[in-house]
Amino acid sequence: MSDNPFPVDKAGLLEAYRMMKTIREFEERLHIDFAKGDIPGFVHLYAGEEAVATGIMMHLNDRDRIASTHRGHGHCISKGVDVHGMMAEIYGKETGSCLGRGGSMHIADLSKGMMGANGILGAGAPLICGAGLAAKFRGDGGVGITFFGDGAANQGMVLESMNLAAVWNLPVIFVCENNGYAEATSRDYGTAVKSYVDRGAGFGIPGVHADGTDFFAVYEVVGELIKRAREGGGPALLECEVIRFFGHFEGDAQTYKAKGENEYNRANRDCLKIFRAKVTEAGVISDAELDAIDGEVAELIEDSVASAKAAPLPSPKDLMSNVYVSY
Amino acid sequence: MTPSVGIIANPFSARDIRRVVADASGVQIAERANAVLRVLAGLYACGVRHAVMMPDRAGLMHHVLRGIARAGNQGLQRYPEVAPLDMPLFGTVEDTRTAAALMRAGGAGAIVALGGDGTHRAVISACAATPIAAISTGTNNAFAEQNEPTVVGLAVGLAVTGQLPAALAFRANKRLDAVIGGQTHIALVDIALVSDRHVGAKALWKPETFRELYVAFADPTLIGMSAIAGLIEPLSRRDAFGLQVIFAGEGRAARARLRAPIAPGLIAPIGVADWRRIAPGEAIVPRLEAGSLAFDGEREIAFSRKDKVSITLREGAFRSVDIAACMRAAATQGLLREDTPNEDAGDGPLLMAASASS
Repeated sequence: MSDNPFPVDKAGLLEAYRMMKTIREFEERLHIDFAKGDIPGFVHLYAGEEAVATGIMMHLNDRDRIASTHRGHGHCISKGVDVHGMMAEIYGKETGSCLGRGGSMHIADLSKGMMGANGILGAGAPLICGAGLAAKFRGDGGVGITFFGDGAANQGMVLESMNLAAVWNLPVIFVCENNGYAEATSRDYGTAVKSYVDRGAGFGIPGVHADGTDFFAVYEVVGELIKRAREGGGPALLECEVIRFFGHFEGDAQTYKAKGENEYNRANRDCLKIFRAKVTEAGVISDAELDAIDGEVAELIEDSVASAKAAPLPSPKDLMSNVYVSY
Repeated sequence: MTPSVGIIANPFSARDIRRVVADASGVQIAERANAVLRVLAGLYACGVRHAVMMPDRAGLMHHVLRGIARAGNQGLQRYPEVAPLDMPLFGTVEDTRTAAALMRAGGAGAIVALGGDGTHRAVISACAATPIAAISTGTNNAFAEQNEPTVVGLAVGLAVTGQLPAALAFRANKRLDAVIGGQTHIALVDIALVSDRHVGAKALWKPETFRELYVAFADPTLIGMSAIAGLIEPLSRRDAFGLQVIFAGEGRAARARLRAPIAPGLIAPIGVADWRRIAPGEAIVPRLEAGSLAFDGEREIAFSRKDKVSITLREGAFRSVDIAACMRAAATQGLLREDTPNEDAGDGPLLMAASASS
């Protein structure tokens, strides 16, 4: 028997940890730099939800497509979008992933199958139906994954897209990242049926729940959903219950959260701590190995910020370039 | 005043990966709420006037209260008064344990629990001697017998209002205890040891990982781990013993090969190396040195060679409402029947008694 009890080999576990840690460090740094006024525009941070993006993306390759949300940094990083390009994009610089034209909510990299963060709530759902249809026509075994929050789960286009995906039997997975708050509105207040998997039944697609703070729970469940989609089994809905460490947007005073809620979640429901405890207690990876990754990731983020700050802003003469497509 | 009845309805059961790896059903929140209303109608019809209910964060109790309010608006009295328990909610199994403990402390005559085996196990871990009436809204449920919630409400109502004696209405149940790291964990039906050393998606659907099985009862009319044992040696809830099963593989030859329904729509070949009956109180040390313990079909605890594990069958471990016995007694004793006196009954029988056939 192998000494590794997990369904991922050691190299994969190290990769998953690096992915989660990169997202966390990226977001923690943006939280600080945004407060200093260094960053134009708006940012919505993904910290606390890393196990979902990572547990899913570990199953995907560049052929598979994702359509993200306004809270998209974690999806981008785990799908392989270059961290330097992302940071420069958020800083609005010419070296950014989208040449500094889009900012946080419009990071995209089609070469990585990342169809874009999206400022419109739920708008990734119809996009992924298109990607799913393309994959189905090509017959290349590709799958599409779209993300939305518990607030966007109530948007009509998410529900319309589930119907479309079911009608066309598309290889797509709808992932509801349920962090309990639609901006500042608790699901207890604003949603009649707060079990988001129930929505699948209305369209005849299976709805499955996973603990979004446990990388291994997400990984195992998503593996089966993706396998089913690649085999022609059609769309599925996955609800992951997650924790949002920060506010809806940076600058959100979070008065709608209970006193001590963030501190409790950081102490007890941090997916990185849970992952670290599992792999070290099993004796598969040492704390020192993970600490080394922490150091490398910190350097990467520091370097990405330095590069972004040093990079040029787009020139006014380029205002209209790379904005419109000629037909 | 009649005793109160506790209602615990888990909004999260039947949500796991078996909806994809097998053909398991989902149970929507609105359907769960309707099941609770049916229980309440049964309770009220038998004289229960007060119930307490676990609140939840999925909207289930809200739908129940809306149904009760609608009946009130129609001028109908169909349900007992339902009071939500005052308790914090975390959206985890702890909510169920907390609710069961509060219901026990509040003197509930019984707890009606709607959920899967995991929900019922959580109730039983906290309700002490308070009887449970289990309704399945889960996936591979083995503990809850198949009963219409309306009928469960009627039976529980007859039991807690004293219309039926406790000795008839309530029955004692076996359970299995697993001790690991000095902590005792219970199972109502089965404990499986599987080679997966991580909990992950929890559900069991890969027979190649099955190593050992311990069951309190073994019913071949069910699906899941209990059904595997049931196909070897059916064992009732009342039999004074359990069963230990060692699966084939890893050098162990199969003494029997089964085609066993291990999940809804999933019938798998299972090789069994050996089995034997186990007596209550016998502490058994499993052969598997590292893997996961699955309670009532869900992986819960991963263990390694460092961990000492022992498994024991317990008799008379908890009480449940015997729905079938209650309803049979209700029929034979006429508890839900009112006969018209002879002088008011018209001109005689409409039907002739059947003659004995030759």
